[in-house]
Amino acid sequence: MSLSRRDFLRLSGWVAGTAAVTACAPAYGRLSEIGAAGVAWPEAGESTFRKLLRLTYGPVPTERRQVAEAGLAAWIEAQLAPEMLEDRRAEVRLRPFDALALQADVLADWEQATVVDQLRRATLIRRRYSTRQLYERMVEFWTDHFNIYVAKGDCWFLKVVDDRQVVRKHALGNFRDLLMASAHSPAMLVYLDNQANVMAAPNENYSREVMELHTLGVGSGYTQTDVMQLARCLTGWGVKRHFWRGQYQFDPDQHADGVKEVLGQVIQPGGESEAGEVLAGLALHPATARHLAAQLVERFVVDHPLEAAPGLVTAAADAFLKSGGEIKAVLKVILLDNLARPEFNPPPKFKRPSDFVSTALRLLNVETDGGPAVQGHLSAMGQGMFDWPTPDGAPDVEEAWASNLLPRWSFALELAQDELEGSQVSLPALIEASAASSPIDILAAFNVLLMGRPPAANVARALSDGLGQSGVDSPDDLAAVFSAGLLASPAFQWR
Amino acid sequence: MSWSAARERVLDCCVHVPEETNWPGWLPRMAFAPRGKAPRGDVLLVVFLRGAADMLNMVIPHGEEAYYQMRPTLGIPRPDDQRAKTSDRAVDLDGFFGLHPSMSPLLPAWRAGHLGIVHACGAPDESRSHFRAMELMERGVTDERGPASGWVGRHLASLDTGNVSPLRAIGLGEQAPRSLRGRVPVTALKSIADFHLHGDLQATARMQTILSSLYQSDEVLAGVGQETLAVLRTLKKLDPSTYVPSGGARYPAADFAMGLKQVAMLIKSEVGLEVAAIDLGGWDTHFSQGGSQGLMSGLMDDLAGGLGALHADLGNAISGVTVVVMSEFGRRAYENASLGTDHGHAGAMLLLSGQVHGGKVHGLWPGMAEGQLFGPGDLAVTTDYRDVLSELCRKRLNNPAVDQVFPEFDPTVTNIFKSS
Repeated sequence: MSLSRRDFLRLSGWVAGTAAVTACAPAYGRLSEIGAAGVAWPEAGESTFRKLLRLTYGPVPTERRQVAEAGLAAWIEAQLAPEMLEDRRAEVRLRPFDALALQADVLADWEQATVVDQLRRATLIRRRYSTRQLYERMVEFWTDHFNIYVAKGDCWFLKVVDDRQVVRKHALGNFRDLLMASAHSPAMLVYLDNQANVMAAPNENYSREVMELHTLGVGSGYTQTDVMQLARCLTGWGVKRHFWRGQYQFDPDQHADGVKEVLGQVIQPGGESEAGEVLAGLALHPATARHLAAQLVERFVVDHPLEAAPGLVTAAADAFLKSGGEIKAVLKVILLDNLARPEFNPPPKFKRPSDFVSTALRLLNVETDGGPAVQGHLSAMGQGMFDWPTPDGAPDVEEAWASNLLPRWSFALELAQDELEGSQVSLPALIEASAASSPIDILAAFNVLLMGRPPAANVARALSDGLGQSGVDSPDDLAAVFSAGLLASPAFQWR
Repeated sequence: MSWSAARERVLDCCVHVPEETNWPGWLPRMAFAPRGKAPRGDVLLVVFLRGAADMLNMVIPHGEEAYYQMRPTLGIPRPDDQRAKTSDRAVDLDGFFGLHPSMSPLLPAWRAGHLGIVHACGAPDESRSHFRAMELMERGVTDERGPASGWVGRHLASLDTGNVSPLRAIGLGEQAPRSLRGRVPVTALKSIADFHLHGDLQATARMQTILSSLYQSDEVLAGVGQETLAVLRTLKKLDPSTYVPSGGARYPAADFAMGLKQVAMLIKSEVGLEVAAIDLGGWDTHFSQGGSQGLMSGLMDDLAGGLGALHADLGNAISGVTVVVMSEFGRRAYENASLGTDHGHAGAMLLLSGQVHGGKVHGLWPGMAEGQLFGPGDLAVTTDYRDVLSELCRKRLNNPAVDQVFPEFDPTVTNIFKSS
């Protein structure tokens, strides 16, 4: 899809414009996101708002305006080139997190709690503040796909390097590069026990998961023999323990000799290159294309895509194969050719805890440090960051999350009452920006802010009935009750 | 408020609602065909050991020579092995099988005839994939086809016990496990104490009023939302901090045992609990599994310490309770070079119940000698786990609709449980 000249100018306009604003005045930058005083924030149609909830962690008014002006397709195109989008607001807030840029052998001497805390904060801050929303969505996708649990072994510091050099580096790149980077990632080799995979008795853990979860997918035709043979190819792939601690190394003394055969391919003895050869084949295997396509369609379009959208899965898999594993090529099919079509109305998906928290923070313009208080809420909801123990990563289907509502309600109440440590919400500023004066206008404004449209009649009734007679004396109190109720409401749980 | 008063007040909201009553529109139970109607059977507690527990080192076939050949480092010494410390040896059960010493807290239940074991038990799936095996086992299906709901969820949906308590089915933990999922709403409960809205009284009361009104219309969430509000009201009346276990029971401080303690509380306060599920993770011991001591031994301390305390605490109430302990598959018969074990096939089930034929290891032992092992060197499955659960449904849960709980599965008749 190509951009018209007018679209392009508009895009360039936002890029340069936002840069100028944030560079000179952070306070104005904050206000500009929610709209200047007296100018209500834009509504978005139900379908457009839902699509934006798939592509972002909550479309702030700026983004809604961009989409209204240039169209969703042009906006997605711009998001697919994140390096072109200025990102000062996120970058400024990431500066204190010095662990993020360090090498493993240095981090190994740090306090574990500090390193993990920095990684978690930075991740939440990027979701909250970054203009590169689709990129952050893809970072989350690959973080789940190549899940690593920071509580296992040295993963607490190795994951910092994995996050930087594997996931963030290749999130919109080529899948083969991403898979290779992950296979050489000390965090992954430790997490899935390949550092213990030695000649005398291969450890199958990584070998199995790389086929089952990272590439081909379960039930795609590989056998127990294939798992054992790939494990033999991978013998000796491990991690340095002393000098250059935390660096990848291949130990030829621990590598199993002999010819191997994986998925019908004979692998001649070649030491380290054997597994590389197999992985390169796995990366671009048709079953991998299908598996990844289905997962991406599930994330961006619909639960259970093999039943719900088989045609789209096939088209996305074809794009993957045709492009030689280019992630952007697959996203273009899923997002530009399908999600962005005006007549396409995607069925709602249930927000995962990470979606619920991020959208609440972003849409209420919350100033957050991403610290332990908000992280604790994520854990209570069942999705602590980098805390999923099993390599399948946190699921993204409604039935996995819908039974655990109370922690969401608690978060909503705490946030709206501005009692969440490390996160400040300024309801008076939001009321001022909305220019609403009557209770019903304030409710309408907050509903538009959080849900993209004015409240349904039953929601308005529920919230006004709930006000009762006492304790709600000012517009600020009113706004606190409304925002707690709306964040906790059924409508806000869907994206 | 005293326990009995609390119970009476709670029971007020649990009385059977007659057919002709207008069910509230949010109740998803409205949406499906009438179920079999019968009073409930035992309270069912499902304990899932996540990560594929090494049952060969939990219930040790110490009469099997091949076991010691394949596990020169990890094998648990025979009960009469003079070279090992007494505390490191298996505890003999029947001359052939023995319990890992860390499982000793379950010996009183074994001697009382309340602990039965089915060895070489498992699922037909050969993927040796945790996720696939757990999913299929919790769904109770042979392969991807068949219902997406869980087997416990289908049990709940196929038996109308007239119980409308919000605590009819609970998942202890962050989220309800797959086995409980289905058309009947299930409450995920991390702890009784944690289950409340934080904030001042006025704000939380107002919030609950608003939520009760908001959660009327959403097709999917109305049921869960109203259940959650009902649980909030119910649990306000129960206080875990004042609970004193019976029978001298001492629950270990671990999360798992704390979960069991709360299950015991809910059972004894008769608030309508029918099914609870709780997970104990960490069993994926590819690396440094340990033998009589070590990683897996610590997990068994948690498991047996918790279940032993539950058994003591329940006292006579065990006659109406059945606990099932299961895991997605067992582990390879021989140890690996990382002093761990890889993914295998058959495991075992533990059944703690007042109505089990206890003090007995059930099932056909397939042997571990060459030619007797399955696939790459795994214990063969001689009892399908669904045979055991089918019998449990019929005899202990009072649910004859086994064909709805395990559709397209033809159970082999076993005789592990007593009939009521």
